[in-house]
Formats: sequence, C-alpha cells, structure tokens
Amino acid sequence: MKLFGNAPRRGRARVFVRLATAAFISLSPLAAQAQETVKLNFWDMIWGPPEYIDSAKELVAQFNKENPGIQVEYRSVPWNNWYQTFVTAISSGTAPDLSTGAGYQAVQLYDQGAIRPIDDVIEELKADGELADFLPNTVDTLRYDDHYVALPWGIDIRVWFYRKDLLEQAGLKVPTTWEELRAAAKATTKDGRYGIVASGDTGGSHFLYSALLNNGGGLFTADRKLDLRNERNKEAFDALAGMVADGSVSPASTGYNSDDRRAAFNRGQAAFTLDGPGLIAQAGDQAANIGVVPPLAGMHGDKGTIFWVNNIMVYEQTKHPEETKTFLKWWSKNQLPLWTKGQSGQLPTRASIAANDYFKNDQARAFVLEQYVPIGKTTATHASGIFPALNDLEGEGAMQAFAQELWQGKPIDQVVDTAEARLKSILKE
Amino acid sequence: MSVRPLPAGETTTWRASAREWLRSGNSLPFCLLAPSIFLMLAVIAYPMLTGFYYGFTTGSLLKTGKFVGFDNYIRLLQSADFLHALWFSLIFAVFNVIGCYVLGLGLALLMNQDVPFRGFFRVALLLPWIVPSIVSIVSWRWMMADQHALFNQIIGLFGGSPIYFLSDEHWAIAAVIAIKIWRSFPFMMLSLLAALQGIDRSLYEAASLDGASRWNQFRYVTLPQLSNISIVLCLLMTIWTVNDFDTPWLLTQGGPANATENLVLLAYRYTFGRNDVGLGSAVSFITLAILMVLVVILLRRQRER
Repeated sequence: MKLFGNAPRRGRARVFVRLATAAFISLSPLAAQAQETVKLNFWDMIWGPPEYIDSAKELVAQFNKENPGIQVEYRSVPWNNWYQTFVTAISSGTAPDLSTGAGYQAVQLYDQGAIRPIDDVIEELKADGELADFLPNTVDTLRYDDHYVALPWGIDIRVWFYRKDLLEQAGLKVPTTWEELRAAAKATTKDGRYGIVASGDTGGSHFLYSALLNNGGGLFTADRKLDLRNERNKEAFDALAGMVADGSVSPASTGYNSDDRRAAFNRGQAAFTLDGPGLIAQAGDQAANIGVVPPLAGMHGDKGTIFWVNNIMVYEQTKHPEETKTFLKWWSKNQLPLWTKGQSGQLPTRASIAANDYFKNDQARAFVLEQYVPIGKTTATHASGIFPALNDLEGEGAMQAFAQELWQGKPIDQVVDTAEARLKSILKE
Repeated sequence: MSVRPLPAGETTTWRASAREWLRSGNSLPFCLLAPSIFLMLAVIAYPMLTGFYYGFTTGSLLKTGKFVGFDNYIRLLQSADFLHALWFSLIFAVFNVIGCYVLGLGLALLMNQDVPFRGFFRVALLLPWIVPSIVSIVSWRWMMADQHALFNQIIGLFGGSPIYFLSDEHWAIAAVIAIKIWRSFPFMMLSLLAALQGIDRSLYEAASLDGASRWNQFRYVTLPQLSNISIVLCLLMTIWTVNDFDTPWLLTQGGPANATENLVLLAYRYTFGRNDVGLGSAVSFITLAILMVLVVILLRRQRER
C-alpha cells in the first residue's frame, strides 16, 4: 500500500509536518501530564436553591485549578427517585467516585458492598487535628460495623416554629415545655385558625420522631430491636393525640404535604409547626412574623429532636481511591461557599464553618445551631450509630401512615398496633 | 412458493436445511421481523422473566437474595396491606369504568346531536385527557386541600361545614375515583362518538317507521350497535385503571392511612420504599395475572358475540 499515494510533493511535506507536530505534542511533558490527570465523578444532591448548584460548581472548579492532576466532574442529582438513581448506577458499574447523600444512604449501600469505608480518612483527620472541628455527635453517627462509612457534611434537623403575631394576639408567651405548647395550641385555635399544622407525608412522621425523642424515648433498644411501645414513646404519642383531641391540630393535616403545611403556616393559618431550619429564610415577607421555639422540655425534663447527619461517601467502584479521598478532604474543609453563596438549607457539621459570620448574623440559624443541634438524635435512638434498616423504615411510609391516622384522631392504641405490625414487617422481626 | 431441491449428494443436515431456508423466499418475513422480535425480547420478555424470578427470591435492588419459593406470595396473601390494595384496585376500576362509560356515552350522544357550538364543546371536553396529569391533579388538590380551598368556599356559601376531602378515607377514595373519571371520560366520549357516527341511519328510520320511541331506539338500535366497541373500551379502561399510578400518587400518595393505595402503588412502595424487590415483584405479578384473566375472559366474550 502506498502511504502517500499520488499526492503532490507539497501535499507530502504537509503530511510530514503534521506527523512531526503530533509526535512532538504526544512526547511533550504537557501530554504526559494530560495522560496522568485523574478524572473523578462527583454526584451532589440538590441541597438548596438553584444558587447552590452554581456555588458547588464554582467550588469544584476551584479544586480542579488547585489540583491539576485531578479533574472532578460535578453532577447535580435531584431528590426525585434518588435511590433508584444510585442503585441503577451501582448495578450497571457506572457509580460515581463519591457522592453526597441522605442520612442513611451510605450505611445501606455499604451493607450491600457498594461503599468504601473511610477509616483511613478519619485517622488522617484525627492526626491533623481536624477531626475535632466536627460538631459532637456527627462523625460517630456514621460509624457502622466498626467502620466509618461516610464523612458528615450537613445537618438536617426539625425544630418548632411559632407565629409571633398569633401568639401576641392571644397574649401568650413562647412555650418552653410540652404542656405549655399544648395550652398555647389550644388557646390559638379559633376563628378558622389552628394551634398546630402538620402534614401527612414524610414530614408528618417527623412530628412523631421529634416528640418521642424529645421525651427521652426512641424507636429501638440498644441491640436494634423495635421498641415502639416503651413508656416514653407512649407518653409522647399520647401528648400528640391529646392535642388532636383538643381540636388544636388542623384537620387538613392528614391530607397536606409539607409544601401545603408550610404554605398554611406562612399564611398565618396555624400558630405552630415543625420544620427544617430553612423555614424562615423561605417565608418571604412573613419571615419577620416567625420565630423559633426554644427546645421544649419533655414530660420528664428531657430535650431532644430528630436530626440527620447528611454525608459524603466514597464508592467501591472508584478506580482512584487516593485522589477521591484528597477531594473528599478538600471539599469538607472548603465548603463554606455552599452556604454563603449557595444558600444551602443544611446546617454545617464543622465548627469552623458554623462560626462564620454568615451563621452568626442569621439569628434563627444561630439559635438552632446553638440550642437544637447538640440535642439532635437519629431515628436509630437508643441503638448506637445508624444501621441499614433505617433507610427502609423511613422510606416505606409506615410512620407516615401512623402520623396520618394520628391526625385523623383515631384511638392511639389502635394506631400504634397497626404501626408496630408494619414496622416489624419492615425490620423482619 | 417453491423450494429449490437439494443438489444430489448433499446431506440433509440441519445446517444445509437452514442454508436452504435462508436462500428461499420463506425466510424474508422472519428476517424483517427479527429486529423487532429481538427488541421485544430484550425490553419486554427479559425484564418480565427476571421480575417473575425475583418474585421467588428475597433481596434488594442491589443484591438478589436467596430463593424462597412461594414465600413472598404467601406473605402477601396474609398481608392486610395487600388485601386492601386489591380491594381498592377493584373498586377503583369498577367505579371508574362505570363512571367514565356513563359520562362518556351521555356526552357522546349529546355531541352527536346538532347542538350549538358543537365543535367548541367537542374540543373543550377533550381537555381533561390532554392536560398533563401533574397539572390537572395538582390543580384538583388545590381545590380540595383544606377549609380555604375552592370546594369548601362553595360549601360555605350554602352554610355547610368544610369537608377535608384528602384527610378522610372515604372522601379520599371518592376524590381519587372522581378525578380518575374526569381524566378518563374524554377517551370514552371520543371513541363512542366515532362509533355512533358509524351507525347506519336507516336502522333508526326503520325503527321510527315501526313506531319505536327515542328510548326504544336507543335501547334496541344504539346500544346493540355499540356493544362491541363498548367491550373493548371497558377492557382497555379496566387495564389502564388497575395500572394507574399518577392519580392516587399525585393526589394522596396512597393515603390517608393507605386507603387509596392500589396494587401498583403497593408494588412501588415495597420495591423502592422498603427495598424488598421480591415482595414488590410478587405484587406486580399478581396484578399481571389478574389483568390477564380479565383480558382472556373479555376477549372470549367478544369472540362469542
């Protein structure tokens, strides 16, 4: 075969020049560097408004600039069908190198062999003195089976909010105990308004978790057996059922989703609701009318509420574990812009970030960080750490149905019986 | 089509036969169909058989567990959730088919008359079918969600107390069925209108000459002429209703207290909420079996007619 065929002499010269250029480029240090560049895929859930995605992309670009040997590709993952998204990617061998995820995602995927433990990262952070920067109760929450399965990055927590205008009109002080909450809810139920507005979706089940944890209860025993019927839980359920019996809980709560509930509260149709720390920031012109209720004392003086330690996890499928860990540590340390620019609705897990003026200037968030985060407890309470079944328990909707029946005013014993049977079925007890 | 005889001395092995068949014109239709058949096997048969197998196993979306025989099916038959979902699917289908057929037929008869603005109404009545489910169902939610919503404002004008449609089991079931009827009737109306226009006018003229009243003309001419298409429409609507995910999910997410959870929602909850693929697959196959029985019965009846 003729390499150049019948090409004219000028044409041959041009081909030679091109070949020489290509050979030069391919042998140059620039090309060698390009070949050595490691590409990582980072999937990040949407933790805030559209600005969040922009700020996360900027942060990734900054990392790429500072680390020319590693190029991270950012992909924003919507919450709709998030579990299917990750499971499909893992099953088809296209999982990311690392991702952020909801509280129990890492532990569940770890249990199925998809997550790489990060014990070495924790050891390194400990050696560098950085581990102490994480808020208490965050890193160890992500310990399962004697391994750290993910690194905390954000806290989601449920706190009670009140309408300042409605309490003022009723001449009431902000409640500090459950008894006072019940009395205030009853007193503000009038003229088509209700004391409390709840919802029948997943957000509705948070009222239950919050109440039982507030009263020193918990869904589990220390050895992870279901313990729905313990005395403290029963008292908490009775307290909520009592408020329903008083007529203080909006009858629309069962059919409401969290958006409906939030809208009703922001319209001033109820005096109290339970929500995430971002509620006031999303309330628009009603923000000034909304305040955070201090942590309520339970019937025995306990304090507590439900929280989730959202986290970053590394996947077993990664081909570049070292570079992935480099990015993981960098991201954890440099993520402040996710709040200052990205307006994330989460709370930080690092004390150094929580100490930033951004949080200090936001009274509500500062209050939640100071007062609520230290008393945050997971769904796993009283078991130590988290475990895989929690994801199924929260995702299946048994506690959601429990909340719906509770808001309907059904007899509490009957509601607990139904919920217990369903929870045992989920937990295969 | 003639087949070329084998040359002398060639052994009639399967390879030779296959080669011969490929050379003949008989193979052409099969060759043309092959890509479609392959595609259908890949996207329908394979997932279906895999799903059928999963129904006999434990396991999650990531890990296939051990083979447990009929355990999942036995668990389902003992489960109150499943029996309720079966019952709700049944009443959902029955009431929707009856409701949308009656409404669709009534409006088709009306649209078949020379009424003013007939063209406008024909288009306007198709809207519930055309509007995306997320838009229409969320709008319905807003109209019935609480005491300040439109329906309760209207009830209030007549002095009535507010009804919490989505908070009470019975009202929620009624709401899901009503909205499904509203979304389904345009298809019935359109199909029946087309069938009505195909009825031979001479039948009505003959009935009229025999002194038949309007009711008798409807009973003895219109209904028998519509029977075949009605069976097909009811069959299709039953399948679509049993398989409907959008309406109960977007309106109530199966609540309150699972009152409006049909078999499809239950399969989704078990598979993706509880991460129990075996149980979810078993629900799906029971749903499929019910639909298959229904299809066979109705097709056989249609053939008899």
